[in-house]
Parts: sequence; C-alpha cells; structure tokens
Amino acid sequence: MTPWPLLILLAGSAAAYADDGEYLFHAAGCLACHTAKDGAPLAGGRPFETPYGTFYAPNISPDRKTGIGTWSRREFIDALKHGTAPDGSAYYPVFPYPSYRLMTNTDAGKIFDYLQTRTARSQTNREHDTPWWLFRWMMKLWQWWALDEPAPAQTNQELERGRYLVDALGHCGECHTPRNWLGASIRTRYLAGTDLGPEDEKVPNITPERADGIGKWDADDLAYFLETGQLPDGDYTGSLMADVVDNTTSKLRVADRQAMVSYLRAVEAFPGP
Amino acid sequence: MHKTAVIAAALIATAAAQAEEPENYIKYRQAMMSAIGGHTGAAGQIVRGKVSPEGALAMHANALATLNTDIGSLFPEGSDFGETRAKEEIWSDRAAFDKAAGDAKTATAAFAAAVAAGDEEKIGAAYRDVGESCKTCHKQFRQKKN
Ligand code: HEC
Ligand code: HEC
Ligand code: HEC
Repeated sequence: MTPWPLLILLAGSAAAYADDGEYLFHAAGCLACHTAKDGAPLAGGRPFETPYGTFYAPNISPDRKTGIGTWSRREFIDALKHGTAPDGSAYYPVFPYPSYRLMTNTDAGKIFDYLQTRTARSQTNREHDTPWWLFRWMMKLWQWWALDEPAPAQTNQELERGRYLVDALGHCGECHTPRNWLGASIRTRYLAGTDLGPEDEKVPNITPERADGIGKWDADDLAYFLETGQLPDGDYTGSLMADVVDNTTSKLRVADRQAMVSYLRAVEAFPGP
Repeated sequence: MHKTAVIAAALIATAAAQAEEPENYIKYRQAMMSAIGGHTGAAGQIVRGKVSPEGALAMHANALATLNTDIGSLFPEGSDFGETRAKEEIWSDRAAFDKAAGDAKTATAAFAAAVAAGDEEKIGAAYRDVGESCKTCHKQFRQKKN
C-alpha cells in the first residue's frame, strides 16, 4: 500500500520550492566569491586573506580548459556538498561547503545546470598562497574533525524554509558564527557574531538578543534590511554585507525573505561577541 | 585700536586655520552623515507607510538633497586617520569616490523632485535609488564598525 497522502504532501512541498537554478545560484551567493574585482563573472581570481594564507577562488564558468566545463553533475555535487575535488582531494573550507552540505542534491544539481549555461571564460586558476605547513591532505582530517552537527531542523514549515535559506543556501553562519582555533564553527554560539570575521572584519551578532543582537529590530525592519540594506536608524550597510544584500537577499522572493526573518527571530539569543 | 584689530584678525585667522585641519573634518562629516542617515530613516518610515506626519516628507527630501550637494568635500586629503571608518580608497581611487558622491546627489535631487510632484509610485522608486546610492558607496568606501 502506498501512503499516498504522504506522497501528495511531499510533492506539494517540493513544488512549493521548485526554484530554478538561477534563483538558487543567487540565494547561495556564488557570484561574488567567484568573481574578481572588475573581472569576468565566474572566472575566479578573487583573493581571500585568512589566518591560514591567501586563497584564490577558482574559475567555475563552463570553460573546458580552465573552468568546470568538463565536470559531471556528480563531481560538482561532491565538490559543493562534500568538499571533495574530482581527483579525490579535499577543498579548503574558505569554499563554504560546510554550509552547502545541507543543500538538497536536487538544488545542487540545478545550480550545476545553470552554471553550464553561463558564458565560458578562459582564465587559469591562481595557486593559493598558503604557509609551508598547510597541505591539502590535512583538509581530509579537518572535514572529519570539524564538520559537526548543523542547527536542528524545524517542524514548522516556514521556519524550516528559513533555516534552509539561512544555513544551506545563504551560508550566513560562515561569517556570523564565530570559529574556534581550527576554523570550525562554534555551534553553541550560532550566529552570535565575531570580532575576527573574514578580512578581519567585525561581524555583528544577528541572534534575537536585545542588547548585542538584533532583538530590538521588528520583523519589518529585518525584512527591509534584507531587501535594501537599510539599518533601522537610516544608515546603510556596507562592506561584505552590502555584497550579500546585493547578490543574495535582495533577490529572494518576498515569502522567502519573510521565512528567513521568522527563522532569525526564532533562533536562540546569545550575548556578545 | 588698530593693533587690537590686527591681533584679533590674526587670532581669527589662526582659529580658522586650526578649524581647517583636515582631521577636524572627521567629526564634522560623521555628524553630517548622521544627519543624512536621520533624514533617510525618517523619510523611510513615511515612504513605507508607517507614519504620515503632515508635510514632513518634503522637509526630509529637501534636507537630503541639500545635505548631499557636495559630500565629496567632507573627505579632504589627509582626513584618513584617527576615529574614522573612511577607507583609504577614497583618496587612492578618488574618481570612483566622486562618482559615488555624485550619484547620491543625483538620487537625492530626484527624490526631492518626486516628492514635490507628489507621484506616489515615483516617490517609492526614487527613495530606493537613494538607498542604493548610500549602500554602493558604503560597500566600496566604508569600513565595518570597530
Ligand atoms: C566565500 C566564498 C565562496 C563562496 C560563497 C562560494 N565559493 Fe566556490 N570556492 C571558493 C574557494 C576559495 C574555492 C577553492 C577551494 C580550494 O581550492 O580548496 C572554491 C571552489 C569551488 C569549486 C571547485 C572548483 C575547482 O576548480 O576545483 C566549485 C565547483 C565551486 N567553488 C562552486 C561554487 C558554487 C556553485 C557556489 C555557490 C553555491 C560557490 N562555489 C560559492 C569560494 C567560494
Ligand atoms: C561574507 C560575510 C557575511 C555573510 C555571508 C553574511 N553577512 Fe551579514 N554582515 C556581515 C558584516 C561584515 C556585517 C556588518 C556590516 C557593516 O558593519 O557595515 C553584517 C551585517 C548584518 C546585519 C546587520 C546587523 C547589525 O546589527 O548591524 C544583518 C541583519 C545581517 N548581516 C544578516 C545576514 C544574513 C541573514 C545573512 C545570510 C543571508 C548574512 N548576514 C550573511 C558579513 C556577512
Ligand atoms: C560618496 C560616499 C558616500 C555616500 C554616497 C554616502 N555615504 Fe554615508 N558614509 C560614507 C563614509 C566614508 C562614512 C564613514 C565616515 C567616517 O567614519 O569618517 C559614512 C558614514 C555614514 C554614517 C555613520 C556616521 C557616524 O556616526 O559615524 C551614516 C549614518 C551614513 N553614512 C548614512 C548615509 C546615508 C543614509 C546615505 C545615503 C543618503 C549615505 N550615507 C551616503 C560614505 C558615503
């Protein structure tokens, strides 16, 4: 016997979020990282300065020589979700696969299909500039050691959608959750901000804590911020977050921004950073 | 009497020269930016339909246009150290910065014009353009909060 009401339910929820590849690509914020300042879209080359050296984003345009034009969908999903390269080696977590691993295979596959329709750009990848003691094989250990439990799934459908947008696609925690000395997210300080974010930027606390977080913002303020970058006092965000607003949150559907807002207002409040 | 006048003039000149120290512009421009932020935030409350105080939108829109007439001049050469979030690129890539300042001037003038014309739809769009011009400049030229 087929539990058909369940099937209908599943079909229904899949249809509700049947996003196309372009939408998912924006919601996951791939563009800004894989495009250098004034460079060709997706051709890579943008530098990331970290305590572990300078990393350069690779070319993910469908160029067959210098990009990912010859990759299979399987290889792509392994890279995006498991941090595993086609040759079996492990990626450094500047590539936020610790977040993308929470994406569904269907969504990852759609991003792959979308990328394959983009203009191929011939641009050879730049070698990372890492300290002498850092090797790729160490990332295998890192993956085994540092990839801990993600934030729990939500039973409420809107909150669950919000969690998916925040964690699996928007990878907000990659900047807003502090890391330990090995660069792993500290789950017990989820979204609580850090003084040592990317590019040594201070990244604010976005939990609903009233004094240090965004607990004083109302739902409308937060939705408007995600849409336009305006802070409740009339100031406009800048630096890295302006990229996130431009490339990701402003491009979401109203209902998706709303789900993100509901989820962010429901997560545990932490003081700090 | 002549002597007093000369001395007074000299004192005033010194005071003026002191006031012109480039780093003194840091506090001044932050206050100016806060004023711009204040009017933008207040106008937003009206544009988003949260409040509708009589005649206030035109006041905010005109103030924004006036305050944005020449924000480039708030960033003189040499005002790049101390308690400031201004990025070095303001001076190393001055043409791009001046363009961003010009875009804010254009956007705030268009917003004031839309409010004067009273066209609801244009007001909403023009307000968004104002916000875009702020965000674009902050993205390139302002550091994170310390
Ligand atoms: C925070 C910046 C960042 C974001 C966001 C990001 N990437 Fe990357 N990506 C990188 C870096 C850096 C690497 C290189 C990692 C390495 O060499 O170990 C990389 C590697 C890759 C690779 C492997 C390419 C190769 O030649 O081996 C693919 C494919 C990829 N990213 C696709 C994506 C897609 C698709 C998205 C959006 C869903 C995305 N990336 C989002 C920074 C980013
Ligand atoms: C690349 C790093 C990065 C990512 C990814 C990121 N943020 Fe941010 N965020 C920042 C920084 C840096 C600031 C502070 C900007 C400033 O001070 O100008 C910020 C500011 C904010 C603020 C304003 C908080 C305040 O108190 O001013 C909110 C809200 C926010 N981010 C939400 C999000 C959400 C939601 C996501 C995921 C969709 C996200 N951020 C992803 C870096 C990031
Ligand atoms: C041409 C560039 C530029 C434009 C356009 C611009 N800003 Fe700014 N803004 C800055 C810079 C740079 C700072 C940091 C100044 C400093 O710390 O010395 C700043 C600071 C601020 C601050 C913080 C002031 C403080 O207390 O330190 C606010 C609020 C602000 N801007 C609001 C706005 C709003 C609203 C707009 C749009 C109407 C806008 N800005 C347009 C460059 C710009």
